[in-house]
Amino acid sequence: MSFLEINRLHKRYGAVEVLKDINISLEEGGFLVLVGPSGCGKSTLLSTIAGLETITEGEIRIAGRRVNELHPSKRDIAMVFQSYALYPTMTVAQNIAFGMESRGVPKPEREEAVARVSEMLQINHLLGRKPSQLSGGQRQRVAMGRALVRDPQVFLFDEPLSNLDAKLRVDMRTEIKRLHQRVGTTIVYVTHDQIEAMTLATRIAVLRDGVLQQVGTPAEIYNDPVNVFVADFMGSPAMNLVPARINGGADMPMITLGRDAEDALSLPASGCEWLKAHDGREVLFGIRPEALTDAEGADRTADHVVEGECTVDVVEPAGSDTFVVTRLGGREVIARMRSDAVVSVGQRMPFAFNMDKAVFFDPQSEQRLS
Amino acid sequence: MAVSTVDTAVRTGRLMRALIYALLIFFAVYYLLPLFVMLVNSVKPLDEIREGNMLALPREFTIQPWLTAWSSAQVGVQATGLAPYFINSILIVVPAVFISTVLGALNGYVLTKWQFRGANLIFGLMLMACFIPFQIVLIPMAQILGDLGIAGTRYGLILVHVVYGLGFTTLFFRNYYAAFPTELVKAAQIDGAGFFRIFRRILLPSSGPIVVVTVIWQFTNVWNDFLFGVSFADFSSMPMTVALNNLVSSSTGVREYNVHFAGAVLAALPTLVVYIVSGRYFVRGLMAGAVKG
Repeated sequence: MSFLEINRLHKRYGAVEVLKDINISLEEGGFLVLVGPSGCGKSTLLSTIAGLETITEGEIRIAGRRVNELHPSKRDIAMVFQSYALYPTMTVAQNIAFGMESRGVPKPEREEAVARVSEMLQINHLLGRKPSQLSGGQRQRVAMGRALVRDPQVFLFDEPLSNLDAKLRVDMRTEIKRLHQRVGTTIVYVTHDQIEAMTLATRIAVLRDGVLQQVGTPAEIYNDPVNVFVADFMGSPAMNLVPARINGGADMPMITLGRDAEDALSLPASGCEWLKAHDGREVLFGIRPEALTDAEGADRTADHVVEGECTVDVVEPAGSDTFVVTRLGGREVIARMRSDAVVSVGQRMPFAFNMDKAVFFDPQSEQRLS
Repeated sequence: MAVSTVDTAVRTGRLMRALIYALLIFFAVYYLLPLFVMLVNSVKPLDEIREGNMLALPREFTIQPWLTAWSSAQVGVQATGLAPYFINSILIVVPAVFISTVLGALNGYVLTKWQFRGANLIFGLMLMACFIPFQIVLIPMAQILGDLGIAGTRYGLILVHVVYGLGFTTLFFRNYYAAFPTELVKAAQIDGAGFFRIFRRILLPSSGPIVVVTVIWQFTNVWNDFLFGVSFADFSSMPMTVALNNLVSSSTGVREYNVHFAGAVLAALPTLVVYIVSGRYFVRGLMAGAVKG
């Protein structure tokens, strides 16, 4: 049985349904990231798990126990807020100890717990300060300390890194991951940053307009998106999605990609013979930039790599890689080439398509074809 | 060309500044003059006042009028001075201010952080209390005080002032707490703190400026109230303002202007002290409340 279960959850504000039939389960010690654009309901979902928002229908279970009716303090959870929500008039030590104080834990025990947690987060020297005297990263640590000291069954993080500058964000991300590895507590984490989602999660849940799009491991979400939204949302630069036509041919179906000025590009759908069933149909051909390379940079372990001649439109050297833009199917397509690939604008050169990684969507329903 | 423009700009600036200062000094003097007259004449013997020059400094300095006003002037039937009524006022003002401030803070807390259906409607209705003229409630209030059996007592006056102050104190605290981050309340809820603990430990410690504003506002209003005092108090519970009126308008004997002046200053003193001590918090608090809400 899974540790955190969300079954058929609905949340309505009057007539507006903000969460529609959410089903998620998470194993003990897992790291679930709720990700989606702003307004998709991910923070509301987290609030319902915390008990700060009631749910209209469905059930939430933590460690097998139904918590729908339980007060937030009785659910054995701890939460880190986006604004950290440190109590401004209390010192760091008082902030961390406030929960224990509320539950009537005796003072020596409180002090011991504060010492233990502050040691772990290296904030011992800050214990006497007020939140206003701390930097962003320090506040973040204190907020985590306040959650850690409870030793809860589930940690809830609500966009905890979005108030930090770029460098600190990466550092704190690593720190949260390390913390998770060390204490092994189950975590539910909300973010709109898909890189945070990929790097931290053991499971990702993608939400859009209150509807759960897909739940899976980061690899599943990244490599096997169920629809165009998930494919487009995860990954940076985003997946190339090109309108294409399938032509059955004799035994190998061909993918035809229209081009503005030149004749259409035809690629054999090697490894995707099932596409024959969609003979003559329009599809969306999805390929990630790293699966579209120069011929020498193609993945040698891939089973099906096909090459096609494309015209280089823009070259963007990024140091570690060179991003090359070409136009296919009326859209810009980004290829990720080796940094020392010799590419010049206007040149016609072979692009290697790793068909193992290619995905196809129905252009109308935007659902995955398989 | 550019230089000359700058030059004129500076010169007009100086002229403007002189004008502004002149105006400010004029108004400062204008507003301070009555206080000056009161203070100067309260330390003169009566003969000197009779000479007719109210603005002159005392030739002969005496604190006798102050002592008389405080302890031996004829206020009612007995020559008790203003002292017992001063005490009365304190005994009315302190509880009335305390209770209305605490209730206002609780109202503001509930109206912003424990929102319920119709909260805004209730707030709107409470706000109406700020606009109801005192005179309208006199008769119903007298009825209620009579029914409760506290007519003519200090408790009756405390109740009246608490009820009347609630609209304002609620308004102040609601607007202040509307800007207070709700995430803090949620965090405290998860930490297991209940309704009152959150109020006492999280909100109240951050409420300094608005508490000062409310206390000053309520203190001034309740202390300076005359209408409720004259309507609902009897001789034993009469507040300072009513006593002062009785002192000044008594028609027997010689009119002791110097004693009247001293009594008036005594009556104004507590509010003056409150403003001087906490005036800058008042302004700061008003601004804090004004930013959002």
